[in-house]
Amino acid sequence: MTTQTAADDHESQPPIVVDDEELHKLLLPNVNDLPISPPSAMESNFVTYFAPDFMKPELDQYIYRHANGLCVIGLAAGHVAFKDEGGVTAVDFNVGKSNRSEIKVTGKRKRNAQQFEPNTALCKVCTNNAFYIVRCCVKGSLLEVNERLIKQPELLNSSADREGYIAIIMPKPADWQKIKDSFITFDEYKKLRHF
Amino acid sequence: MQFSYRDQRDILVEKDHAADFAMVVAESVKEKYHEIASFTLEVSLPTLITENESVILSHMKKKYASEVWFQEKFSFEHIISVKDALKLSITPSLETLLGVKSSVSDFRIRLTYEHVDAPSAENRTGKNHCNKRIKSGNGFVKCTNETVQSGDVSDFNFQLQKVGQPCHMTLTFSTAPVYIGGRYLKLSRNVSQTRWIIDDERKGDASVEELIGENILPTCNGDGYKFHAAGREDIDVRMLGSGRPFLIEIQNARHLPSEASIKEMEKLINSLESNLIRVKHLKIWGSQGWSLMREGEAEKQKQYAALVWISRSIKDDDLEAVSSLKDLKVLQRTPIRVLHRRSPLDREKIIHWMKIEKIAGSSQYFLLHLCTQAGTYIKEFVHGDLGRTHPSIGSILGCRAECEDGYPQRISLNCLAFVIKLPVTSIVSFLFISVFSFSDFEWILHSIFKFFSGSYNYQTTLLLCFSDMNVGLYVQVAAAVDGLGKGLAATVGGFRSVNTGILEGGVGLG
Repeated sequence: MTTQTAADDHESQPPIVVDDEELHKLLLPNVNDLPISPPSAMESNFVTYFAPDFMKPELDQYIYRHANGLCVIGLAAGHVAFKDEGGVTAVDFNVGKSNRSEIKVTGKRKRNAQQFEPNTALCKVCTNNAFYIVRCCVKGSLLEVNERLIKQPELLNSSADREGYIAIIMPKPADWQKIKDSFITFDEYKKLRHF
Repeated sequence: MQFSYRDQRDILVEKDHAADFAMVVAESVKEKYHEIASFTLEVSLPTLITENESVILSHMKKKYASEVWFQEKFSFEHIISVKDALKLSITPSLETLLGVKSSVSDFRIRLTYEHVDAPSAENRTGKNHCNKRIKSGNGFVKCTNETVQSGDVSDFNFQLQKVGQPCHMTLTFSTAPVYIGGRYLKLSRNVSQTRWIIDDERKGDASVEELIGENILPTCNGDGYKFHAAGREDIDVRMLGSGRPFLIEIQNARHLPSEASIKEMEKLINSLESNLIRVKHLKIWGSQGWSLMREGEAEKQKQYAALVWISRSIKDDDLEAVSSLKDLKVLQRTPIRVLHRRSPLDREKIIHWMKIEKIAGSSQYFLLHLCTQAGTYIKEFVHGDLGRTHPSIGSILGCRAECEDGYPQRISLNCLAFVIKLPVTSIVSFLFISVFSFSDFEWILHSIFKFFSGSYNYQTTLLLCFSDMNVGLYVQVAAAVDGLGKGLAATVGGFRSVNTGILEGGVGLG
């Protein structure tokens, strides 16, 4: 048996770059372990709450709360705006006092963020028939609004629960504790609206 | 001069000689520090003393300014402050006792004198703070408050404060930190980079910081450590490939480890039973340690592999659509998951290239290989973060996309392969072993050759592929002997490896 050690081989033959498929297989999961439909990033990292009939009947909103305390606010599926023919046609962040899409929050300390109450208006959502006010639902600092809705209001019709979110609010832990019990879970909401 | 003070136990200590006082200091140094190369002596005096000093000087100046003897002897060059006098008197003795010279040094001996009873400067003057004391070259101390603008001290309403008690003296030492650094690999998907404890509960199984720091600190006999790394990765992301540069800063290290000692530390960390991390190229760094950090930053392109799920079946068009995008510009708003602690910003990042690798047995899962600019949030690029990262895989493929837990995995591949030819009769089995270092690899090779030099008449082709972190060892074993593959695995199996698998049946490596 003639043996060449690795060292010898290195000198007599230049190293061959091999297709790293085999090494990539280290990265491959066991297909049998993969769920057919995995939980989404939203489902895994956020807890979903619903505020049905918020201040007025049929004004349903959702609150996705992240483990870090931030709350994503949006229109829930049962919101009356979706019942109007043609759905949402326009979104206006100008709510009289100020244009919510114009605030610039900067820095880690979130300077210039305005403190809002649960009933503070975020924007107006317009349909062919009417307009509806969307509110904060939680007390906290407004970090950002989804200004994409200005140019693409149809996002609310196609994915109000994701790309059509309205705003992100940062409540203080104490304020969240006070208000969270007034919201209901997804299952309760489904029952309520007979989905 | 008299050397008396109250020590930390508030006991009055009196030394008549500078040398005796120096002895006390030296003893204290030797108790705690065994390896100093030099020292710097620092003295801190209460304001009371410096004020008294200036009052006396100004008084004398006023009274004797016209005298010749005053002008000769008390000219500026000849006056030294109490502080300097103290330093000058004990420094030579200290040098002798400690066997090293006094110079600008990392090792500092600090004598801090405080007078417990002394009223503060503010109270005594009844005026504004004397908050800037400028020591000018002549030993005079000037106060920068309004009463002393011109240096004319006749307006002082100071009185000389008679000091009835000796000061309280604290003796402290400090050394410059020692930096030990290298590169680390993270093998686990549940290890955070730094210690992460919320509400008394630890997140993850361990932290890279502690796994490295706790194994270095005792040898250096330091007070504590700080962990610095060039970049970071999430707790559920592995760090593979060449590893991430890091530095451990040991504070107040009393022992500088030797090169051999450092190698021991590296071995120790790499052989921990928990097998969560590895370290490479561990060594002591001076100020060039920070260039190690810059090195990490300089690796501006990062390669990742992510396991992606989409809401529909993958089509061949998709592979093409993704591969065709080169240097794709992506605008990422600060991801919601970090928005609570990072600035809300829009960051433009570049995805240099992407490649979809289909997974056998699944039509909706695939591996996405991508090379991106440093600082790109990969998970958000996959799922789009509610549209706040645009474009995203979801928007490119026109469907919903999710990035699986435990991914992305950062890899960088330096693949080399050696083909070693040994005479072969027929192919029987494969052996795949992953190892983590070249020395392990050599050991395996050695064991294999030893094994094969037994009585079997066989031929083997060894195909070895290794990256910085992994050696894939493919042993095509040709033999008519049953269980040869298993025997071989047993030989190397006792060895620390990630994956030892035997694929019977023979698959040719083309």
